[in-house]
Amino acid sequence: MGYDSLMNLIDGMASDFLFLDGQEIDISAAGKFLNELENVIKEAGALKVEQVKSVATALSGFLEYVVIDSIEDKEAGFDAFGKGITLMQEIGDSFKNTGGYEGDIKGFMESVAALTGEQIVAAETGVVAEAEMEAEVEAEAETAVEVEGETEAGAETEVSEEGPQLIETIEVQDEDLLRDFIVEGLEYIDEIEVNLLNLEQDPENLDHVNAIFRPFHSIKGVAGFLNLEVIRDFAHDLENLLDRVRNSEVSVSSQLINIILDGADALKAMITKLKDDLEGKPTEPLEIDLTALRKRIEKVEQGAPETGEVKKVGEILVEDGVITDEVLKEELEIARKADPPKKIGETLIAEGIATPKQVAQALRKQTEQAADTAQIRVNIKKLDDLIDMVGELVITQAMIRQNSFILSNSDRKLSGDVSQLSGITSELQRTSTSLRMVPIKQTFQRMSRLVRDLSKDAGKQVGVVTEGDDTEIDRNMTEEIYNPLVHMVRNAVDHGIDSPEDRIKAGKPEKGLVQLKAFHRGGNIVIEISDDGKGLDKDRILQKALEKGLIDSSHGLSDQDIFKLIFLPGFSTAAKVTDVSGRGVGMDVVRQAVEKLRGKIEIDSVPGKGSTFALSFPLTMAIIDGMIVRVGDEKYIIPTTAIRQLLRPLQESYNNVVGKAETINVMGNLLPLVRLYEIFGIEPEHKDPWEAIIVVVDGENRTKCLLVDEILGEEEVVIKSLGESLKSTKGVSGGAILGDGNVGLILDPEGLFELSER
Amino acid sequence: MDIDKNMKILVVDDFATMRKVIKNLLKQIGFENITEAEDGTSALRTLKSQEIDFVISDWNMPNMSGIELLKAVRADDDLKSVPFLMVTAEALKENVVIAVKAGVNNYVVKPFTAEVLSEKIEKIFEKL
Repeated sequence: MGYDSLMNLIDGMASDFLFLDGQEIDISAAGKFLNELENVIKEAGALKVEQVKSVATALSGFLEYVVIDSIEDKEAGFDAFGKGITLMQEIGDSFKNTGGYEGDIKGFMESVAALTGEQIVAAETGVVAEAEMEAEVEAEAETAVEVEGETEAGAETEVSEEGPQLIETIEVQDEDLLRDFIVEGLEYIDEIEVNLLNLEQDPENLDHVNAIFRPFHSIKGVAGFLNLEVIRDFAHDLENLLDRVRNSEVSVSSQLINIILDGADALKAMITKLKDDLEGKPTEPLEIDLTALRKRIEKVEQGAPETGEVKKVGEILVEDGVITDEVLKEELEIARKADPPKKIGETLIAEGIATPKQVAQALRKQTEQAADTAQIRVNIKKLDDLIDMVGELVITQAMIRQNSFILSNSDRKLSGDVSQLSGITSELQRTSTSLRMVPIKQTFQRMSRLVRDLSKDAGKQVGVVTEGDDTEIDRNMTEEIYNPLVHMVRNAVDHGIDSPEDRIKAGKPEKGLVQLKAFHRGGNIVIEISDDGKGLDKDRILQKALEKGLIDSSHGLSDQDIFKLIFLPGFSTAAKVTDVSGRGVGMDVVRQAVEKLRGKIEIDSVPGKGSTFALSFPLTMAIIDGMIVRVGDEKYIIPTTAIRQLLRPLQESYNNVVGKAETINVMGNLLPLVRLYEIFGIEPEHKDPWEAIIVVVDGENRTKCLLVDEILGEEEVVIKSLGESLKSTKGVSGGAILGDGNVGLILDPEGLFELSER
Repeated sequence: MDIDKNMKILVVDDFATMRKVIKNLLKQIGFENITEAEDGTSALRTLKSQEIDFVISDWNMPNMSGIELLKAVRADDDLKSVPFLMVTAEALKENVVIAVKAGVNNYVVKPFTAEVLSEKIEKIFEKL
């Protein structure tokens, strides 16, 4: 062992250096040397030959300057590099023979430092060497910041009152490329939105960040070649922001998502303007405030303080460039001396320095910031855990309250305490559930964008109106309902809204309308998507369903029944596959997604007037309203949303057609009877329907009667999953601890229907 | 040394317009024999199935980035001596050093002119 391996490495370098063509270290050679030096540094470090390590580190640093072509005196650099190798050989030899080195490497280190212009201190220990490298990186970061500042200043001057001037002249030879750039650039920007959604759902996944980074990066690259400086610089700013997200310097927040969306919109507008200019279309000046967007980017980059102090109005005005720092100081003095003391805004207006509008804007900004500061960011997992635990607490509390000892106790103090406990617990539950509630606004905004984009592609004019943007919804649900909503909005634009020509013919305004509405009804949130298009074509739906063998006959089907056919797997009435719909996903997928959330879809459609799809979901996914029913000694929970009706039938309404199913006549409809006790194999109290109770429940697209012994009541229950092994059990969707401490199974009507048909 | 103007050049970039930009520049310098790939993966496939004399690749690409492509090329016995020019967006020292250590023959910073490209290509081929 010993120093031989180190000497071999250094000698290898020496021979590579000797055989270099010409007096120059080119890129390939530099790469080779850099790798060799890396090994030398490692080996020297292991052997504690610090001087070799220092020299090798210096040479490595020197090469880094060589590859970015920033060594002015190439000849001197070449010589110094050779000397460095010889010096390492000398030190190595000395160590090999004497176990140490008495010479001084300071002179050499200084000569290298002079070449690179960087201060390299002769390192005695590895620690110092590392510190050096850090300093180097820092120095670089500083220069990077400077560059950023420059581009920004440059761009700002370009923003004239008429909006950013995109291009001075278009050179004819570039026109072809420009056209390609416009088409491809716009395509790339469209991808950003999809990827942003992915990122929002999975903020830790760097692939998503990369996927958003890349379009900006590519646009910047080509824009540079085409002299589209404003586009290039702005794309560069967004790219930088995302780069910092990639490096975990900036976290994924709603502010980040919003600025990227707005930034992408701005780029899109700029490129679209370019396109119109190129086609000689008359265009309006762009109304994009790039400076404001840049400020927002900057704010996000700095990790806009979540709990920082609220800025003073004066400071905001300075920031906005309305007044200067000096003016602010003077005016503050004037305001303070006034009797009675005036507010800075008043003084500024009185002195004619700022307009009332500017002050009002600053005040508004201040209020926004104040609202910001009243929030803190919480990991959603913690929130979920909290809400789960509160759910458990509610149940435990109910168990205590119903404990026979408590019920029969005569201690008034205990009774009082227990009832106070219940009060506090339900308040706690309400508050904790509300923590996870967010306004549906953001989801609606995305849908509006989608309508805008889709209508353009479909060659239709479609407006969007939203209502109930402030309606709150469980944050976890916004993610789950996103895809079904997208699909339905797509359908509304693609199939719902008729073509401009057809609309004019039908006496409707040329521009179609899609309405998004959200409101609370009972314990549910309802989201309605309506269009004023042609309405669902009942005949075509029936024809299609018959063709596909989804139904045997159209006899006895109500309008609702017919509409619901579109939710069957394998159903699609789109005459042609277009870009937006017909991606192999039908309404059955929407239905499945909605049902997963224990929601329902209702359709209302009038031919020629339009359709409304109403989705209703329970407010939260963790708790459901259930009807507790008893069969024999067992208790079951039926989701209230699935229940149509409870009744005790007359004996005459019961039919048993031999060879066919048993039915109950419920208000003229013959509905199949499902005997729960048969399915679960238990002994019931009553077997005759007219002595028992019938619960009329809805499955996916049919209704049946469940036979139970008794209705025990209605209760809000916290859903517990049954665990992996029981997950696939049909007819049961989960379990819940009931108020009396017993466990009940939550029934899944559709699953029960399937079991009953076996 | 004269560079063979008929050598087959592979231009790799995920942005089609960018490939066209580079192709146009190459044509200006006199290179006509150009083929394209949209990411590292498909570039590697092309490299393995065709005789490629020179690779010009973008750094940032989906599926397989330029640097991954470079490493894969240098690790492949049949391909390791193919000259490789990396197109980068910034002349950031850390980035360049990574490419240089991975064995790139040279790099060029976007945007660049035909002259710069020509110079870089000459530099690469005079050493070979």
